[in-house]
Amino acid sequence: MAAGALTTFGPAVPGDAARARALRLLLIAPVVVLIVVFLVLPYLNIVVMSIRVPSTRAPYAPGFTPDNYLRALTDSLYLGALARSLAIGAATAFFCLVLGYPVAYHLARTNARFKGLLFAAVLSPLLVGVVIRSYGWIIILANNGIINQTLRGLGWIDSPVRLMYNEFGVMLALVHVFLPFMILPLTGAIQSIDPNLEAAARSLGAPRWRVFTRIVLPLSMPGIQSGTILVFVLAVSAYVTPMLLGGGNVQTMATLVVQQLVDAFLWPVGAALALILSLAGACSVAIYARLTARTMRRLGP
Amino acid sequence: MTRLSISGLAKRFDKVAVLKGFDLEIANGELISLLGPSGCGKTTTLRCIAGFEQPSSGRIEFDGADVVRLPAEKRDIGMVFQNYALFPHMTVAENLAFGLEMRKVAKPEIERRTAEVLKLVQLSDLGGRYPRQLSGGQQQRVALARALVIEPKLLLLDEPLANLDAKLREEMRFFIRSLQRRVGITTVYVTHDQAEAMVISDRIVVMFGGEIAQIGSAGDVYDRPASRQVASFIGLSNFIDGTVDGMDGEYCNVDTRLGRMRCRAGGAPAKGTAASILARPEVIVLSSTEPQDVNRARATVAERYFLGNMIDYRLDCGDGVVMQTQQPPHKVFEVGASVWFAIPAGQTWLLAR
Ligand SMILES: Nc1ncnc2c1ncn2[C@@H]1O[C@H](COP(=O)(O)OP(=O)(O)OP(=O)(O)O)[C@@H](O)[C@H]1O
Ligand SMILES: [Mg+2]
Repeated sequence: MAAGALTTFGPAVPGDAARARALRLLLIAPVVVLIVVFLVLPYLNIVVMSIRVPSTRAPYAPGFTPDNYLRALTDSLYLGALARSLAIGAATAFFCLVLGYPVAYHLARTNARFKGLLFAAVLSPLLVGVVIRSYGWIIILANNGIINQTLRGLGWIDSPVRLMYNEFGVMLALVHVFLPFMILPLTGAIQSIDPNLEAAARSLGAPRWRVFTRIVLPLSMPGIQSGTILVFVLAVSAYVTPMLLGGGNVQTMATLVVQQLVDAFLWPVGAALALILSLAGACSVAIYARLTARTMRRLGP
Repeated sequence: MTRLSISGLAKRFDKVAVLKGFDLEIANGELISLLGPSGCGKTTTLRCIAGFEQPSSGRIEFDGADVVRLPAEKRDIGMVFQNYALFPHMTVAENLAFGLEMRKVAKPEIERRTAEVLKLVQLSDLGGRYPRQLSGGQQQRVALARALVIEPKLLLLDEPLANLDAKLREEMRFFIRSLQRRVGITTVYVTHDQAEAMVISDRIVVMFGGEIAQIGSAGDVYDRPASRQVASFIGLSNFIDGTVDGMDGEYCNVDTRLGRMRCRAGGAPAKGTAASILARPEVIVLSSTEPQDVNRARATVAERYFLGNMIDYRLDCGDGVVMQTQQPPHKVFEVGASVWFAIPAGQTWLLAR
């Protein structure tokens, strides 16, 4: 009797645990299948493609070669683009963090009635497709765009200020669209920090900026980490924005990959470049995770 | 050490008056508790003193100096929160060191004082642990230590024992009290537990709806409550309604539905005043024969509950009057039995109705 009653509190019967596990596996199966079919298999295909011999008449010529990689890693055009991609990714993540943090803090701490509205505003960049959004930026930033016309109308400038077809325009547009990916995880992380911790720190003599650097910032590290990684990865691999707002002046690895695939029709070269970009991005993330690991460990399991 | 004086303290949130302008003087080294039901403004009062909340009006003075304009970090206050609010990413020692670092105390001095206070709260071995690796009681003591290590002017505690189990809560009451005596720090202690307030405080401030209903010692608020509301909030009470018939020294004669009764009174109410007699359940004496007491009446035992150290009876006194009484368990009255009860006049208290 007693033993029978106890089993209702947990999976004490072996069959129960097994069934619970089977159910869990069943529930994650769709995602696993999606990932295998649409990510792992294509990736394997790309890996194979990247060591094939390029050809201009067919997708590839017979045989295998390491040349695609050797060329990419010795040519300063490709290395420069790789460095630019990583730099744009890191800078975009940094500016999203700096600009997004105050918004996230406010969202996490406010109980104002227009909180929902603010959330909607934060998410709004995602509501417009990337091409339309980029053209929107072009209307604003172009030499005869809104900003330059206004400045000229005011008589502040004679010749237009170059606001796009350079890194500045690309980054501005990237920061704008990826801000939500920074703000949402940050808001979640800050929300889970007990406001009494800030009060406690103040009562112990910490001025506001100290409360921020010693309490809020380290405790929001999980949000900072996921936000920056997310934005970095998205910005590094962004194609349309650098293409349209860079106008060929901002060569990133992503634009080069498409150039190789579509314009030059050199699939193996494009595949090698794509893999190098992926690997470089993954390594950067790994190094970053290492650097932040110490703070994260203190936060406990 | 510090004398705290509050005058005309009022606080409104969106036009809702949460504190309605009260005065309070707390002597140097005194421990007072704010006792009152949920939502009466205890935490708000504490937060105003700590500087987390800006009062709508009124003055808060430490040793005669107004601190209302002073930000929280400049007030030099040690505060213990209900959920302890320990910094989860810092060890116990680092939690304690935080306030000292903010005061730019030198490293060796920090170590010395941290160790000293950890010893005071009997946690010397746990300096290297993270808060999540401590039990509730240990976390509580770390919170206390963190507030004390900065040697603040004032110690504020907001329901510090509310999250502990009953046994530990009882232990910690005495621990906090003796610690406070030893350190000699002026302390404001918030609780809604009357037993806790009685054990721990020099004086109890009873609050209702943002106002102070009574300030006094445990004896004052229990035996001589200022109002029916205070009486019913603190301890169990029977109220016998009646009309004042006249004074007899410091006693008062009251006509009630249980007959004429003699009752202790604080003032001298006029003849004809509507009043209630307060009789605590444990002062009532039950007997099977008629007692000699002036205040006596007959009743029938309606209900009986065994409490361990006491037996709780509900008496039906007729006329719709029900009294609650608690008696030592050596003599037992059966449910349905006809009994006498007496209320010694010296242990009653007259309240306005
Ligand atoms: N920031 C705030 N905004 C609006 N109303 C508030 C705010 N803080 C407190 N109140 C209101 O003020 C009243 C008093 O709150 P307070 O927290 O001081 O009560 P308390 O006596 O500490 O209660 P408890 O025993 O439940 O902790 C409550 O009605 C509460 O809803
Ligand atoms: Mg409270």
